[in-house]
Amino acid sequence: MTLKLLLVADSDSQLLACQALADAVRALGGAVTVNAIPKPGTPAGVLGALERSGPLWAMSTTRLLADPRLEGFDAIGVYLTGSKLAEFRSTYRLSRQRQRQPLRPLFCGFNGVVLERFEEAIAWRLGYDLICLNGPRDQARLDLLLRHTPFQAQRSVITGLARNRPAPASSKARERILVFAEQVVMPAAPHERRRLVQMLARLARRSPDWQVLIKPRVAAHETTFHAVDTHISATLREALGSPPANLQLSYEPLPQLLQRSRLLATVSSTALFDALDFGCRPVVVADFGLRQDLGTPFFAASGLLRSLDASEDLDALEQGSDADPAWLHWVGYHPEFSAANLLRALTDLAGGVHDSAPLQLSHPGYVVNAADLSTNQLRRGAEAAIRCRDYDEAARLLEIAQLHRPDNRNIGRRLAAVRQRNRLLRRLALLVTPGLRA
Amino acid sequence: MKLALIAGCVAGRRACRLLSEALHRCGSTVTLIGPAPDEAAAEPDWLPLPLPQLAASELLDHVDAVGVFLDGESLRQFRRIHGQAAALRGRSPRPLFSGPFRPLYGDALAADLLPRLGVDLLCLQGEAQLAELNWLVQGTPQAQQACEAIGLWCLPTAPIGHSISQEPLLVVLDQPEIPPSPFANGVLYERLCAVARASPHWQVRLQCDQPLPPDPQQWPQTSLGWHHLQSSRPPANLQLGDHADPLPGLIQARVCMGIGSDWLLPPMVWGKPTVVLGDYGIRTAFNGPLFFGSGVMRRLMDCLPLDALLNSSRPDPTWLAWRGWSIVDGPQRLLRRLEALIG
Repeated sequence: MTLKLLLVADSDSQLLACQALADAVRALGGAVTVNAIPKPGTPAGVLGALERSGPLWAMSTTRLLADPRLEGFDAIGVYLTGSKLAEFRSTYRLSRQRQRQPLRPLFCGFNGVVLERFEEAIAWRLGYDLICLNGPRDQARLDLLLRHTPFQAQRSVITGLARNRPAPASSKARERILVFAEQVVMPAAPHERRRLVQMLARLARRSPDWQVLIKPRVAAHETTFHAVDTHISATLREALGSPPANLQLSYEPLPQLLQRSRLLATVSSTALFDALDFGCRPVVVADFGLRQDLGTPFFAASGLLRSLDASEDLDALEQGSDADPAWLHWVGYHPEFSAANLLRALTDLAGGVHDSAPLQLSHPGYVVNAADLSTNQLRRGAEAAIRCRDYDEAARLLEIAQLHRPDNRNIGRRLAAVRQRNRLLRRLALLVTPGLRA
Repeated sequence: MKLALIAGCVAGRRACRLLSEALHRCGSTVTLIGPAPDEAAAEPDWLPLPLPQLAASELLDHVDAVGVFLDGESLRQFRRIHGQAAALRGRSPRPLFSGPFRPLYGDALAADLLPRLGVDLLCLQGEAQLAELNWLVQGTPQAQQACEAIGLWCLPTAPIGHSISQEPLLVVLDQPEIPPSPFANGVLYERLCAVARASPHWQVRLQCDQPLPPDPQQWPQTSLGWHHLQSSRPPANLQLGDHADPLPGLIQARVCMGIGSDWLLPPMVWGKPTVVLGDYGIRTAFNGPLFFGSGVMRRLMDCLPLDALLNSSRPDPTWLAWRGWSIVDGPQRLLRRLEALIG
């Protein structure tokens, strides 16, 4: 059976994750359409690559949920940020009920390695029919979180960290290039970012036969999930004045860089696994130590930690050990873990192998983010309550929304309106205060 | 056994004092040592020594083991100086034990554990932290880290007598940095005022969960206490608790409530009805992941009428046991492991 999947995403890193998943599913015989929710600043290169590889839609969530073509898919994969994930699940279910259409399985996942706030991320994802995890490491942490809770029945599947098809062995010798995969917030402190580029510059000076290319996460005019004040190009100018001739920024697509370079260095980027895919030797920068805020503990058992400052030169850095196979399996970089597991799990779901009843999210004494806790969900719920003239319920939902977004004046005004006890004044106040725009 | 316990911050000192009392009851001699925070906060039972001098001090040669309950950078500094000083004197460093002195979970626990890895014995609280440690160090050179779960040693969880107030009292734990904006705190304060007004036969007490300066002018604007002092007409049954110590208030309370304070655990252990406010969801910055499985999360508006809380809101005992409540012989466990270590 050929599975037809729809993948929904908005920001660049989520679109990249969808691109990788779509390629993998197509290679396994599945059909994939990607819907990129329009968002200002999304890199054109990312959208262009998606368009070249298969059908690409660009609809808002509201338009997408009203589109009759939605019925043609066997499952929908949602790659959005936490609150939007929960909101999509909730509005999708409501729209299917309204249109009397059957529900398709919804799945979600992560767009790369999860370095922090895993529990919070899961609290937004609970209730999806399947949560895709990177590897046994994440599975173990999910099990720890859900143990002794009513949510133990949450289904998950390990889909691995390999995002690119293995590069065919090339007879062409790789160039003496070190690619540094920049991350916008790791490290985040300006003085540490300056220290990082200074380390790279010293290494470049000690290795005149090499080129050191810093690959910025995004171009200065583009946006990613994290908002940053200082682009890496500015940090480079501030920290070095005139950098060595063999240290440059490169905006060449990462896959192309990795196919011709000998080395990739990173603090904690998922690009490390792209390097493995393309046969480029990765190293993890150990100079900042193992710090939770840098995500480096993830790589503690990798066998790839190296100090840039302590390395004699890049020739010496290249002679290091390979990644530890046990660690690669633990984090999910192993043939056992791939998109094939997702397709199998979705087929099982469709075939009724497992109980397909959605996970019950409301339990006394438990609160999960996914259970109608995004601000928009709360406001939408409040508007529904107002339409039913249940003003106490509307006030209750708006009060929670106001705790989340105390600075949102519209929520405050709407709350004041529903609290109005005089019927006439309340009606008037509801007319003049803004509800949630669709 | 002669032991030294070293702590710097308020939470560390409180935890070490509790551990010292428990170890003393087991027949050990314990010396509490730490840098003096300031003149006003000097405590008579602490030996005040600046950290670098303490780490290199020959005083430590006279104890069997040293419990180092300092935070990240101070701990690194202590271990480095202590190791170097011992090497210069041609002696072995003293056996060191350490561990989180707050009931941490998830990212916060990992961040706390990283600088402690490599000590002779890691003291954790319950099975949950042991499982997390194993997860964190899997495959790393620290995979064989010696560790022991010694229960909820860092909080006053020993049984208390019947000293609850005559009038029903709800104690709301005020975390001065959570929510992190003054405006958000103001909104929460107004909600608590509404709860107090809706419950005239209850007393509602805002209890800071860490010591605040004696001068209220210096209280942070992100504390509920600050908003209470600004309020022109607060409800008559809404009051402020002791600014220096949350314990008496918690003992008197019929019901305790908070967002993610460590101090929610003692009333849970004592069997008092406790509410973890779920209005903000599971947020890492608000310590939500720790209480996710507690079984006592609910939204503020679902807490009314307060009387209904008296017969509900008890935590899931399996969850509480998993956090360390089920371990009743923690100090003995610690001493057994230290004896084996010293040989």
